Amino acid sequence: MPNTTSSNEQSGAARRRPLLIGALSALAVAAFVFWSGWPTPTDGEANAAAGGDVLVATSVCEAHELRAKQEDDPQLQIEIPSEFDKQWPSRSACQSAIDAWDPTTEGPLQPIPFSHKHHAGEFQIECLYCHSGTDKSQAAGVPSVELCMGCHSQFPAEYDQIEGIRILKEYWNQKKEIEWVQIHRLPEHVQFRHNRHIQAGVECQNCHGDVAAYDKLPLVEDSHIGYLVPVAKLEMGWCINCHRQNNQQASQDCLKCHY
Amino acid sequence: MSELDRRDFLKIVGLSAGAAATVGCEPPDKLVPYVIQPEEITPGIAVHYASTCQECPVGCGIHVRTREGRPIKFEGNPEHPINKGFLCTRGQGGLARAYHPDRITAPGVRGGDGSLQAISWDEATAQVAAKIGAAPEKTWILGGPVGPSLTGVIDQFASAAGLGGHLTYENFSKHALIEASEQVFGVSAEPLFDLSKSDLIVDFAADFLDTTVELEGQFAEARDLTKHEDGGARLIAITPRQNLTASNADHWVPASAGSEGVLALALAKAVAQKKGVSLPAVEGASISGAVSEAGISQGLFDKLVEKLASAHHAVALPPGVASSTASSAGASAAVLLLNVVLGAVGEQITYAEEDAKKTASLADVMGLIEKMNAGDVDCLLIHDLNPVYSLPVAAGFAEALAKVDLVVDFAALIDETTELAGLLMPDHASVEGWGDMNPRQGVRSIIQPTLRPIHDSRALGDTILAIGRQMGGAVASALPEGTWKSVLEANWSGTNWRQALARGGDFQPTPTRTVSVQSSAGNVRPAPAKLAGAGDFVLVAYPHSYYGDGGGASLPWMQEIPDPVTKISWNSWAEISKGKAEELGITFGDVIRVETAAGAVELSALPRGGIRDDVIAIPIGQGHTVGHYASHAGDAAYEGQSASETLQRGVNLAEILPAATDEAGGQAYLSTRATVSKTGRFRRLALSQWTDNQRKRGLAPEVSLYELAKGGGMAHFAATAEAAESGGYGDDHGSDHGGEHGDEHGGDDHGGGHHFEGPPFEYDPAYDANPDQPYRWGMTVDNDKCTGCGACIAACYIENNISIVGEEQAIKHREMTWMRIERYVGDGETDFTIGGDGTERRPWPDGEELGKNDVRHLPMMCQHCGAAPCEAVCPVIATYHNDEGLNGMVYNRCVGTRYCANNCTYKVRRFNYFDYGNKNWPGLLGMMLNPDVTVRGQGVMEKCTMCVQRIEEARQTPKDEGRPINDADIQAACQQTCASQAMTFGNLREEESLVVQTAKAGKNRAYHPLQILNTRSAVTYLAQVRRDENGGH
Repeated sequence: MPNTTSSNEQSGAARRRPLLIGALSALAVAAFVFWSGWPTPTDGEANAAAGGDVLVATSVCEAHELRAKQEDDPQLQIEIPSEFDKQWPSRSACQSAIDAWDPTTEGPLQPIPFSHKHHAGEFQIECLYCHSGTDKSQAAGVPSVELCMGCHSQFPAEYDQIEGIRILKEYWNQKKEIEWVQIHRLPEHVQFRHNRHIQAGVECQNCHGDVAAYDKLPLVEDSHIGYLVPVAKLEMGWCINCHRQNNQQASQDCLKCHY
Repeated sequence: MSELDRRDFLKIVGLSAGAAATVGCEPPDKLVPYVIQPEEITPGIAVHYASTCQECPVGCGIHVRTREGRPIKFEGNPEHPINKGFLCTRGQGGLARAYHPDRITAPGVRGGDGSLQAISWDEATAQVAAKIGAAPEKTWILGGPVGPSLTGVIDQFASAAGLGGHLTYENFSKHALIEASEQVFGVSAEPLFDLSKSDLIVDFAADFLDTTVELEGQFAEARDLTKHEDGGARLIAITPRQNLTASNADHWVPASAGSEGVLALALAKAVAQKKGVSLPAVEGASISGAVSEAGISQGLFDKLVEKLASAHHAVALPPGVASSTASSAGASAAVLLLNVVLGAVGEQITYAEEDAKKTASLADVMGLIEKMNAGDVDCLLIHDLNPVYSLPVAAGFAEALAKVDLVVDFAALIDETTELAGLLMPDHASVEGWGDMNPRQGVRSIIQPTLRPIHDSRALGDTILAIGRQMGGAVASALPEGTWKSVLEANWSGTNWRQALARGGDFQPTPTRTVSVQSSAGNVRPAPAKLAGAGDFVLVAYPHSYYGDGGGASLPWMQEIPDPVTKISWNSWAEISKGKAEELGITFGDVIRVETAAGAVELSALPRGGIRDDVIAIPIGQGHTVGHYASHAGDAAYEGQSASETLQRGVNLAEILPAATDEAGGQAYLSTRATVSKTGRFRRLALSQWTDNQRKRGLAPEVSLYELAKGGGMAHFAATAEAAESGGYGDDHGSDHGGEHGDEHGGDDHGGGHHFEGPPFEYDPAYDANPDQPYRWGMTVDNDKCTGCGACIAACYIENNISIVGEEQAIKHREMTWMRIERYVGDGETDFTIGGDGTERRPWPDGEELGKNDVRHLPMMCQHCGAAPCEAVCPVIATYHNDEGLNGMVYNRCVGTRYCANNCTYKVRRFNYFDYGNKNWPGLLGMMLNPDVTVRGQGVMEKCTMCVQRIEEARQTPKDEGRPINDADIQAACQQTCASQAMTFGNLREEESLVVQTAKAGKNRAYHPLQILNTRSAVTYLAQVRRDENGGH
């Protein structure tokens, strides 16, 4: 048997990190941010417009927007204070964070405006970098807050102007878990092994869709079952079709998935 | 998981993706990753931690299998010298403690109206400290057996604070055995037994197969037929009722209860004479007196002498709890003297260099009760003990407790004592805290937490330290620095801590000392049992294999799994002989009144053949009035179970046992006579197996060593095939086919009659759906090794999330167990009818006869038949055969017609009449469920899957490495825990696999039950062997 004796020297308390009841307050933070005003790049503009003719940027993201506006309309007077005159965070990063929390598009609001499009699309970060363990375990790994912070803690302070990063750091500082809304889910009577599929060379996108194309992952209401489902419904027919097409490698035995 | 909402779930574990998946077709769920993911945890992959079982004081090593920070299964630690990788039924069940609905969730103080009020830890600590500080000498600690480090901390505290005393009390104490060793050898220690090299074991009511997994393993080794052509060790069981030990014995001597000591001394004298051994200490014994006292014939006595004298490595085991009399120490001493005569001392029996640690006896506890009554105890601290339940009511503990100002209980689960305690300061559950155990010298076993404390509990060590520090001054400064864990670590400073955690402890060989018979041995004069009261019966109160001293009764599986001998679950019963029952007009289920000098109880009777006429036997451990499973309190919560009018489940023997003690002060459980009378009422018992008659069907055949030696075997099976063919097996046809056959078929290794060609036991690929597949999974079960203990059943329940159904459903035979151990007596009879002409069918175990021993154990689970009757009748193909020979059961496809169960040859399919799986795990118990196995819903069929989830898990690494799965990759749950190693599981297509090798080695004994029906089962059984005179010495 594998893993028969894998004890370690860590103390029990240390092994099971203090777990925080966090989810509730995390959602409260998210809700507060949401209700207290949708941050749009035009806020600064509006303020500026009310005060005079010159539009003054109040964040790096806003600076990107103003510059873009100015390109369209060279008459526009803009002022970008030096602390906001930065290349990073990029304009697309700013935009992704905003779109990830766009209430007008399909799908549930996540506790953090996290964008797969930005991370997996623009920056081409491997799926397995964050979802590590997926190639070894039946379960897909969801990155720990610590893993997120591994990159984000190294970014300069102006990145905190992006809502998502600011909230992420709040979670980290309070050592709270993030309660993501699950998008892809199988019923309990199905046993699915991610590692086998990855090692067989199945692309993540085959089942999960092109997540790299979305800032906000869609979960749409299915009138047939009355609940929200991902765009690819992950029903048995969908599984078995693929298993039939790859019948040299893939089993069609019921007991492979149902036990 | 009804009461467990998601919020609780999140509070308890920082779980992640895989574990959060719940039932489909529900609104979106949440994925909650760790904030900081522990290095060794990969969601979806189990991690095992070494720890120590705390269900009883034996100290077996366990591996706690955890998933995402939750313990989901206990398995034996193969490196541990006590249990060597195996675990008993109770040990398996220990898992439920942490998630138990009976957990005390926070400290509480009892208000004036008796209700519990919340109190903070600081306040509670301050209250206790102030109370103790006011009169330390009037404070006592009464505790159960805990590890050496914790005992050390408590003792340190007790002496620093100047407390009245600290009593460590064990309900089943070893005082008599230690006293006997003192008397015979002058050593104050418990003897250590090693049965593995013995050739004859005489069990003087030690009931070792009923109680210890260590000796069970040694017994199996001593009788392994592959190592011992002569059949290995013989077992003679001397006990008034046919318990599990007697069921497995070659000879059962039903000597009268309590006569073991007298008999042992007489045997010692006779054997010494025969062997020419000179031992003055035994010369005073009276043989004729012993024979009449034991109620056996002189002929039987002579036969015993003969056997003992001719054995080379015989060993005798001293009386256990069930026959602890006022003369227990004398009886144990007599058995030790017999061992001296047999030459077992220094061989099968050794003594560790260290003396046994002093513990309190019942006499000491009664001394404390006197003090309590006299008002000399102001404050009583109770830990790891439930004295209100377990001490004899006659001792008056509960009344005395009322005279104590402040009673503090540190229990983790509610029980009868916590109900009377004024202040509760709950300890962690067994998997939440640190600790250690020292089962014997040289063996130090560690307890490490594998679950973050769920509730607001605190380790007992920390609580004691906090109380001491709160008292300040000299008390505080005398206590060690730091936390309980740092104290523990300091105690282990001489060892490699990391290695100890990885291995489960520090295991050195036990240093032994040579002992010799002392002159005081001449005083050994065991007396026959002194019995209080009057009546025709001797009350035999025996420790139940599952309930132990009562602690096991709170575990769901210990209630649900039927008793290995009587097959009764969920209640108490009184065993009475068939003859006496008839005389008194009692039949099965009649409520009888058992009255002793100390009190009376009423409970249902079980008439059986395997018990002496003068004995009424009741198991210890039931009769709780508190607890979700232990009492009837939780009944209304089960699906299909109505609420009970009474709280007490079964009867508590403490109510009718006098507070009798032996010479060493330990409790004498065999101490009273009883009168039995009919009440006229009837209370049905949940009896899972209604007959011990296998009706000559050869379900569990027996072959003799003699036949095996001749190259034959399975004669019974041949007879069966023929009997069946001629219509002899079945109901009304009286058959004379059975029994006289054999020799003409003896050489034929797969039996068979004239017309019927039975399939050979050996694997034949032609039986399978797809012979091109590299695997066909199957098992080999050696009935000869199986003792019927039932540990495999518990392992199966826990591994496969099998539901608990409760007593009412169990009475309706709706138990969900995937495997059972059938118990038959002899080959059975076919010449009885149901009612009508003469012989009457009796719906309870009926084949037993006093002193005769032909018990067969047959572990029965889904046979994964190559030609499965269930598959053909399923209208929706929910059950089908897969390419690897497994009989698959697809829950989500099942529509619940139950045709398959009706058509199953082996009756191993179980139907969810109610939503047991989702409703019958109260509180947090749902969290211990194995996430790799679907929890079955209402209306679907289920059965043994041959641990398909383990097969799939085992497939992963070999697949990555591009090699086939081999034996080292996989063990079925039942196989893993079996101390006798009666079960092997593996790939039938692999010649070298253990499962094939075992079947081949047992060639002449191999068979499939009901092979004549051509089900082509994947489970090969090896018939039990009768170690008769001709085959042995």
